[in-house]
This record gives sequence, structure tokens and C-alpha cells, in this order.
Amino acid sequence: MTRKREFAFLLLIVPALLFYFIFYLYPVISTFAHSFTDWSLLQRSIHFIGLDNYRQLFNDDVVLTGIKNSIVYAVIMTIVQNALAVPLAVALDKNLRSKNVLRMVFFAPAVLSPLVVGFLWSYIMSSLDYGPLNQMLSHLGLGSVNWLGEPKLALYSVILTQVWQWTGWAMVIYLANLQGISKELFEAAHIDGANGWKTFWNITLPLLVPSITINTVLSMIGGLKVFDIIFSMTSGGPGHATESIVTVLLQRAFTDSQLGYASALGVLFSLFVMVVTLLQLRLMKRWEVS
Amino acid sequence: MKKIVTVFLSLLMLSSLVLSGCGKSDDTGSNKNSEGGSQSEKKVKIRIMGYNKEETRRSYLDYLKEKLPNVDIEFQFVDLKSFENMLRTQLAAGEGPDIFETSGSGAVYANAGYVEDLTDASFTSKYNDTGLMRYQSKVYTIPLQSWFEGIWYNKDIFEKYGLTPPKTWDEWMDIHDKLRQEGIKPQAMGAKSWEPMMKQSMGMLLNEFYSKPENKDFDTAFSDGTKAVSGQWNDAVTKWTETIQKGNITKDMLGVDYDQAQDEFATGKAAMWESGPWAAEALKQKNPNLNMGMFPIPGLTAGTGWLIGGPGSAFAVNKQSKHKDVAMQIMELTATQEAQQALIKDNFGSSFLKGVEVELPSEYADSAAAFKEGHVYAPWITWPFGAIAEDYGKALQEVLTGAKKVDEALQVLDNKAEQQRKSLKGN
Repeated sequence: MTRKREFAFLLLIVPALLFYFIFYLYPVISTFAHSFTDWSLLQRSIHFIGLDNYRQLFNDDVVLTGIKNSIVYAVIMTIVQNALAVPLAVALDKNLRSKNVLRMVFFAPAVLSPLVVGFLWSYIMSSLDYGPLNQMLSHLGLGSVNWLGEPKLALYSVILTQVWQWTGWAMVIYLANLQGISKELFEAAHIDGANGWKTFWNITLPLLVPSITINTVLSMIGGLKVFDIIFSMTSGGPGHATESIVTVLLQRAFTDSQLGYASALGVLFSLFVMVVTLLQLRLMKRWEVS
Repeated sequence: MKKIVTVFLSLLMLSSLVLSGCGKSDDTGSNKNSEGGSQSEKKVKIRIMGYNKEETRRSYLDYLKEKLPNVDIEFQFVDLKSFENMLRTQLAAGEGPDIFETSGSGAVYANAGYVEDLTDASFTSKYNDTGLMRYQSKVYTIPLQSWFEGIWYNKDIFEKYGLTPPKTWDEWMDIHDKLRQEGIKPQAMGAKSWEPMMKQSMGMLLNEFYSKPENKDFDTAFSDGTKAVSGQWNDAVTKWTETIQKGNITKDMLGVDYDQAQDEFATGKAAMWESGPWAAEALKQKNPNLNMGMFPIPGLTAGTGWLIGGPGSAFAVNKQSKHKDVAMQIMELTATQEAQQALIKDNFGSSFLKGVEVELPSEYADSAAAFKEGHVYAPWITWPFGAIAEDYGKALQEVLTGAKKVDEALQVLDNKAEQQRKSLKGN
């Protein structure tokens, strides 16, 4: 009877397993296999070419720019977003009268589609005379800035928009964590004479470490995978100044039709994200324990 | 063991997170031209995919609908930004549209065996040979109306400052200077896209390189790899960069997109803007009082100048289409006077169908001589590669920022072409 029941349970898992196999496992294995071929949309035959695609990757300047930009984007995004979200969450955890409105205001950008955010900020950062950001700077006597047209600045302009969009999201995770911390700890610290800074440093921050882990890992993965906001704001330009790994991957796959080569980039990218995430998790775990 | 399984599963989950995202999507502005109801269930469904918006095909689609009441035609517009990506993916998956818009000979698709050979189709001979672009001596695409781009200019601004459309490059540069002195922005440009600078540099190439008899077959030689652009184009493209040095094209423009540049021109904030007839309607909608004309890009010596264009936009029939007979019927109908006039009505251009007369609207009067001389050409649409002009355009953006020199930008184009030649050959 028990065996029959177990078998029935196993049967129930089959649809989910099939789904997982067809839509996740198979594409991953297929991508890996195709990364050793010259698969192209320009021809119907596919040939095995060993590690040629992988060798070529390291000589492709645009790929290297994409990797560099993705790392810069992910690291800055993770640091700035969390550095802003923690104090914001602490502030909005206090008994402010407007706290609910403020929470909503800070969280609202997170519900917008990245494409909408992209078009909105393209307008705000426009280098034309109606660009609101430049108008404001001009009124302050600071002159205008070529936010998206200056190659050295464009990537940071994009990061700015993403910090604006996702800080509220991270803040909500920290708020949830903060509300789970016993008030008695803060009262005890207060009785012991700890000031606000000491309380934050010795009680709040250590107890926020689990949510810091979640937020930084999610930011890092999201940052390394960045595509839509770059596509809508700069299309990887000017030139290749804001190209990310994923924009290059899509360009190589579909604009250049080199699917085999793009598969190699995809495999390498997956391994890279995995290594970064595992290292990050190990580091954060060590911090949690200490 | 447990650890290995956990790591393996994590790897899979992460990989799927990273690699997921590709898939079929129909939310690209498709619009069914059907009447609905139970009757439509019996209709044959035909999907036409194009990168020109539906409003530029409206009269033509209405004509098809009238002539083919039992065919349910779905017109799917996909922005050029992602058109080729989407089309190639769909074709590779065997889910391509029945008919699709493409430029030039459709060489890329013909090479992969995705398109029907139309060489001996009954309608092909109805077109003038100048409009039929061949790949390996075969016709795979049927031209729609001609495509061209020039420099739109604000006639009122020109008149106010005593300016006339330029006959030479130097005159054009002087017009920029004069307008700047008068406090008018000479030219608007959405250089966030790789296209406008690429096209303007091509304008100089058409005048100073392609018009020379010895370069008549350059594109054929470039396509098969016997000639490279490096060493051939350098002088003309270097001369073109004068417009950057003079401050006519500036780094600010790299942060401006097509629509923003169009707004600048439509509202009279800029006196000139490079685009084509498809923008005319939008410009008039934004400013009904806009008095505009179009002149060709001038060369170093006085002449008619050149327009960028050619028999660019064309239709190809998907070889894997389940309703190839109906698709061919649509192509047959397209080769009629009525269909051609309907196409021209919503997007001006000349027709390549024999016997179709087109009257040039007044906006294009300054380009009449260039049309008469046949000075309308776009080199890249004759190349049998993918979108390598995009790489050249992006390299020119880097020329503007100072990150690349002209020679390096041309090298980018050569390298990309070589890579594509290898892909086409399958090695």
C-alpha cells in the first residue's frame, strides 16, 4: 500500500519533471553542445569545431567590453543600492506619520517595466534643451551633461536609473527583516547607554545580514544579466560603451547569426555567474556566522 | 554526494535563470486584418511580417483584403531594431511568416534556403530589371516601392536667411556655419542609433567613390572578398568627418534618438534632418505648418548629389509556408497597378512595376535631378551579409567620440564582412 502511494506521489511529480526537462534542462544541455559547433542562421549545416568558439571569445573586444561593463554595473549597482536601502529601511521603520506613503513612493518604481523606465529616463536625461535633468542643472548654473552620449558616463547614467528603480525593492526586504527583530534588544541597548549609531552597528546591521545576503545575491545576478534597460536606453552605445554580456550575446546570436559562438558565450557567462554567486554566498555565510 | 547534487542542481537553476528568456512572443504590434466571426475560421491565414509600420501599408492591405475575401491577412510590424533577430529565429524554428519584408536580394535567407525562388514566377517579369536584385543569378525578392533618404530642410528657415539647397559639399558646410551664426541649430540627428552617421558617410562615398566608373563593381568584389573597404573608402570617409570637426555632428547627438531628432526638426529648432518619405506624415502631424523639402547629399563638385536608397524594401516568400499558393497569389496581386499605387499612397517612392507612372510630390522637387540621373543607391543592401552596416555605424559613433580613427572604423567593417563570408561558406 505504502509503495503504491509512493508510486502515486512519484507520478504526480512527472509533469513538473517533464516541464523542467523540456524547458530548462534540455535548452541548457543543447546550448552547451552547440557551443562546440559553428551553428549559424546563415547556413543549415552544423559542424563540430572543438574549442574554437571559446578561443575566439577572448579575442573579441566587444565581448571583453561587455564582460567588463557587466561586472562594473553589477558591483556598483549592488553596493549603491544596498548602501541606500539599509538606512532608508531603518528610517522608514521608525514611527513616522508619513511612513506608509513614503514606503509606497520608494517602492513604486520597482513595479514599472524596465522598458518604461528606460524611455522615461531617456527623456529625463535627454541632451536636448527640453531634457528636465539638464534644465535643472542649467538653472543651478552647473551647465548641461551629456548623460547618454558621453561614452565614459553613459554606463553610470544607466546605473543611476536602476538604483532609482530597485532601491525601494531592496528596502522592502530590509523592512520585513527589521520588523522581525525583537524590540527588546533595542530597549536593552538603550538602557545600557548605546547611542543610535552604536545600536545600528552592533544590533541592527548584524541582524540584517540574512537580508543583506538575499539582496546582494539578487542584485549581483540581476546586474550581471542586465539587458532590457541598456537595450531601451542606449542600445549598447555610443559605439560599444554600454554593451553588457547579454546585449553582446544577443547581437552575436541574432544580428550576426552566430548561434554556436553565442552559445559559447552563454555557457561561459553561466559559469561566471555561478562562480560569482557561490563565492558571494560563501562570503556572506562567513559574515553571518561571525 | 549530497553536496555534489546540490551544486549540480544549483548550476542548472542558475544556468536556466541566465539562459531563459528566449521564446515565441506575439506581442509585437501585430494586427489582424480579419473580420472575425465564424466565417474567419474557414479562411486561410497568411502572416506578413514587415519593418515598415502598418500605416505605411494600410491601403495596400485594404486592397488585398478586398481582392482576397477568403484570406485572413495578419500584418505583423516588428521594429527594425529587432526585426532580423526575430525573423531569423522564427525561420530557424520553422515558424516564420508566410511573406516577409527584407532589403536587397534576400541573399542571407536564400543562402540558408529559407526563401522561395521567384525567378520563373509569372509576376517577376512584370518588374523592371533595375528593381530585381539577384543572388547567384536568381530572384528571391520582389521589390515594393523604391526607398530613399535625403536631407529634409525647413524651407521657411532657409528662405529667411537667404539659403538655397546646396549643390556642393562646401556649400552644405557653409549653410551649417551660417545657420549656427544665426543661432539656429543646423542639423538634428538621432545619433543614438547607428544609422544616421553611417548613411551620411555613405552619401559622401556615393558622390566621391561609387560614382567613379572604376568602382562600379566594387560591391560585388567586396561581397566575394576580393576587395576590402580599407584602402578604398578612406579618403571619402575622412573627408566626410569634416562635418564632425566643424561641429555639425556633435557628441550630444549620441544621446538623442530618432523621435527626439524628428521633434527638433518638426518644431523648427533645427533646420535640417536626414530621413525619408516615411517621416513626412509624422512631421506634418507634429507641425501642420511645416514647409519642408528634401535635397540629396551633395558631393565635392557641383552636381545632382545622391540620395541613399534603392529597391530596398522587398517581399520574400517563406519556402516553408503552409500556404505557399496563397502567398504566391498575394505576390501576383502585388504586381498590379492598383496594388503599387496603394503602396505609394501611404509611403511615397517610385514603383519598379512596368508601366506604373508616379508623380513626384512638391517636397521632393529639389531631388528630381538626382532621381532623373538614377543617383539613388545604398551599398550595404547589395552585400550578401547580415547587418554588418550596424557595426560600421557603431564604429563611426566611436569616431565621433574620438575612440576610433576612420581607418579603424573601416577595419571593423572589413573584419565583420570576413567573418560573415566564413559563416556563409560554413567554415
